[in-house]
Amino acid sequence: MASGGDDAEASAGTQDALSAAVRRTRQWLERRTLGLATGVAVAVLAVVFVLPAAVVFVEAILVDGALSAAPIRGVLTDPFYVGALANVFADPLAVGEHLRGLVGWARAGFPVPTFGLIGFTAYQALLSTVASVALGLPGAYVLARFEFPGRDLLRSLTILPFVLPGIMVAVGFFAMFSAGGPFNRLLGLVGFGPVDILFSLEVIVLAHAFYNAPLVARLATAAWESVDARTVETARSLGASRRRAFLDVIVPQLAPAVLAGAILTFVFTFRTFPIVLALGGLELATVEVWIYSRIRQLDLAGAAALAVVETAIAVAVLAIYLRFEARRYGSGRTPTPSERTPLVPSLRALAKPSRLAIFAYGLVVAVVFVGPIASMIVESLTGPNGLTLRYYAFLINRQAEGAAFQVKPWPAVRNSLLFAGATLAIAVPTGVVVAVRRVRGGRGGLVLDALATAPLAVSGIVLGVGLLRGLVFGVPLPGGFRLQVTGVAAIVAAHAAAAYPFVVRNAAPAVGGVDRSLVESARSLGASRARALLDVELPLAISGVVAGAAFAAAISIGEFNSTVILAEGGDAYTMPVAVERYLGDRTLGPATAMGTVLLAVTSASFVVIERVGGRY
Amino acid sequence: MKRRQYLATVGGAAGIGLSGCIASPGSSGDDGTLTVATYDSFLESQGELDAPGAWIKEQFESEHDDVEIEWTNPDSGLNHYVQRAGEGVEFDADVYLGVNVDDLIRADEQLDDSLFQDLDRGTIGNADSVKSELEFDPEERLLPYDTGYISLVYDEGEVSGPETFDQLLEPAYEGTLLAQNAQQSDPGQAFLLWTIDRYGEDGYLDYWRDLQDNGVRILGSWWDSYSAYSEGERPMVVSYSTDQVYANRDGLDMSRHQLGFLEDQGYANPEGMGIFADSDNSELAHDFFDFVLSPEAQGQIATLNVQFPATTDADLNEEFDQYAHEPPETVFYGYDELRGNLDGWVEDWAREIAG
Repeated sequence: MASGGDDAEASAGTQDALSAAVRRTRQWLERRTLGLATGVAVAVLAVVFVLPAAVVFVEAILVDGALSAAPIRGVLTDPFYVGALANVFADPLAVGEHLRGLVGWARAGFPVPTFGLIGFTAYQALLSTVASVALGLPGAYVLARFEFPGRDLLRSLTILPFVLPGIMVAVGFFAMFSAGGPFNRLLGLVGFGPVDILFSLEVIVLAHAFYNAPLVARLATAAWESVDARTVETARSLGASRRRAFLDVIVPQLAPAVLAGAILTFVFTFRTFPIVLALGGLELATVEVWIYSRIRQLDLAGAAALAVVETAIAVAVLAIYLRFEARRYGSGRTPTPSERTPLVPSLRALAKPSRLAIFAYGLVVAVVFVGPIASMIVESLTGPNGLTLRYYAFLINRQAEGAAFQVKPWPAVRNSLLFAGATLAIAVPTGVVVAVRRVRGGRGGLVLDALATAPLAVSGIVLGVGLLRGLVFGVPLPGGFRLQVTGVAAIVAAHAAAAYPFVVRNAAPAVGGVDRSLVESARSLGASRARALLDVELPLAISGVVAGAAFAAAISIGEFNSTVILAEGGDAYTMPVAVERYLGDRTLGPATAMGTVLLAVTSASFVVIERVGGRY
Repeated sequence: MKRRQYLATVGGAAGIGLSGCIASPGSSGDDGTLTVATYDSFLESQGELDAPGAWIKEQFESEHDDVEIEWTNPDSGLNHYVQRAGEGVEFDADVYLGVNVDDLIRADEQLDDSLFQDLDRGTIGNADSVKSELEFDPEERLLPYDTGYISLVYDEGEVSGPETFDQLLEPAYEGTLLAQNAQQSDPGQAFLLWTIDRYGEDGYLDYWRDLQDNGVRILGSWWDSYSAYSEGERPMVVSYSTDQVYANRDGLDMSRHQLGFLEDQGYANPEGMGIFADSDNSELAHDFFDFVLSPEAQGQIATLNVQFPATTDADLNEEFDQYAHEPPETVFYGYDELRGNLDGWVEDWAREIAG
């Protein structure tokens, strides 16, 4: 029998042991933070990306259980998919024949060759990339170099287009650019005839720019803001002209961010769907349209073969970029950004060419970005007989009286915010760690970054099927059991995996810009690697991290495919899902009203993220 | 009812984020809950009227003690269950409402065993009044419960109503028609099949080439094309012959909602319901089908789903009689004609358009 005193002693001993254990654990955790975060990143990617992608891709190389090149060969030798290259793929070694083909082509006067569905897909992605950079860069310039009221808000809201469901963008574009729409009325005012751009390549490129120019602008703004003013001053004092200083000093510092934006835009628009069919039509179809068709026919092998080729092209583009990018990191100077100049210092300054150009750009922004969004909001307030609030009344009524099997607005808002919050909690720390490894860690970081970026290159439709077959249906275990991963946790993991690349892209340049010697001083004074990261690097790189966080939230809120699949008909639906479900019989009202709620909630959360992040 | 029991929760990777679960090989029992799978718009109505799903649930439950209808609407429709059955993964749903003929063909082609069980039609008294021309399952596992007819909808202020397919190739109709991608849209596919019926397997691609030369635009979903039509982008769209019911409810100008039955025809798009092979609720499901085909329910589905009833004795209201128009003649490809042909026809067509 133990006496009371023994108990107390024992408990004191236990406490000591406990606190020692806690201390040891904490030290261990601190030492291992980087490793742990890396482990989390890898595990999340393995479950929600590698496994589902593998489940589908394997169909492209297996025919009746045996390895076969036939499905992929079938794609590469089909003139419909690859046009003029089909013969080359069909018989790559027949060099003589291909040369004769080239000669024949030269004799025919070099007609523009066509490269099939895949060629067209790449072509429209290239045009979309050019348009997105052209529209995004001036925005970055204005946001980074000028001070004006509402600048912070505008900067926060730049990524808003990212979260908009495709059908809302289509509605906005139809309303804005239709024959009798505001765009043509505006043209009419200045004496130009109506322009019909719907159902054309132009409008697809414009819609892609609507989605992606903000991405370019955002990445470039962050880079521009961290340009070291001293380098410019040095160049100028050494006699460089303004233009020379810009080309030699600023451009090289902006290039990685602009290139990152361009590459991401290319990869995104390369697998675009369904906006191409909504605004352009089947004549302007992309590879993803065919993948979707195959999936609907449950021809998994056909879908997988196309997806493998599509992914290979996108991965090649990403790989070239990642290698290039690796040589760009680590300027090692803590930036001292130059002061922003007032946009409107005086009324007279408004007549300066630079200000006129900026206002012309503002007009373009109003037409391309504000116009479609405003049109969508107007649509939600317009009934068959003029202005109405009935669609908002519908939302309230549905919330109050909707049946259990119907989608209600508030749970959609709540789920979206919860998922976004949880996504931030996973994607931001792990994304920052991946960025640190990327910048400092050599090859391991590159591999990790490549793995984290790869989901961008894979067809969303294919990944959705992989999630369904791999995680929702589950992996068979002995005894008739199945390992399944569905529900809220799986949704958050899928969102986090989609968000990593954006956190990494935004954080890496900022982390790379942190002065190494500061980190080393902290380490030599006894700070652990994690301490140094938290106390030194993070505060210095905060602008990039916050931008990454805003992107992560945007990705999570805008995500549709994996959310509906992993929710498995439960109550885990989000705002974009609600928008889709409210698309009803003949009226766009309820869907656009829900879309407007989505806009408002998302805008508010971006502002909150930037404000909170700004205080760090 | 929870057939799938979650026996264990395994820890997520690195302790965060991911939770897995292990599902048992299923235990089940008939406890009076009928799980009915269907498509979104059967459950979510956006107009003043409720969705058919809500009315059916309320009415059926009030007529049957201790019975509950549970609705579910998976994102990929019937394909969801075809894939599950193909992978040997159990599911809760007993009944599917909204099977098209192409869905059924796909299920039969993909699966060794039938996705649906045989019906005991003798116990479904109201099945006798189903219009025989809407039956599309040669094995009678499915019962049609409603149908739409694909037609053109046009703005008579802009174009005069076309009467034949050939007319659509005339200069007067240049750049006027909006259609949908037959790879993904039901009305789009129906319109394509209609042209195959008219010009034959060997002639339909030529017709579409000419239609393309005359400026037809083939958008993605029905929604894409109908919202473009609503914005006035084009004066004609491939849609349903119930269009005026909506126009009347919203008080719209009927001149923009005229119906064009080309060749005095419309393409039928019947929707069927069937009981999944593994359902233990077969008896209740048969009762449910009898209810769905009753004159009252047929009238309600027509009104709320805005589709034509599948039976001859539905209680239709005046509104439906006045504004929903049946084509003088219907065109419809049956199961046997489509099986083995449909995917090839659609693929050839899509390549013709996109190539």
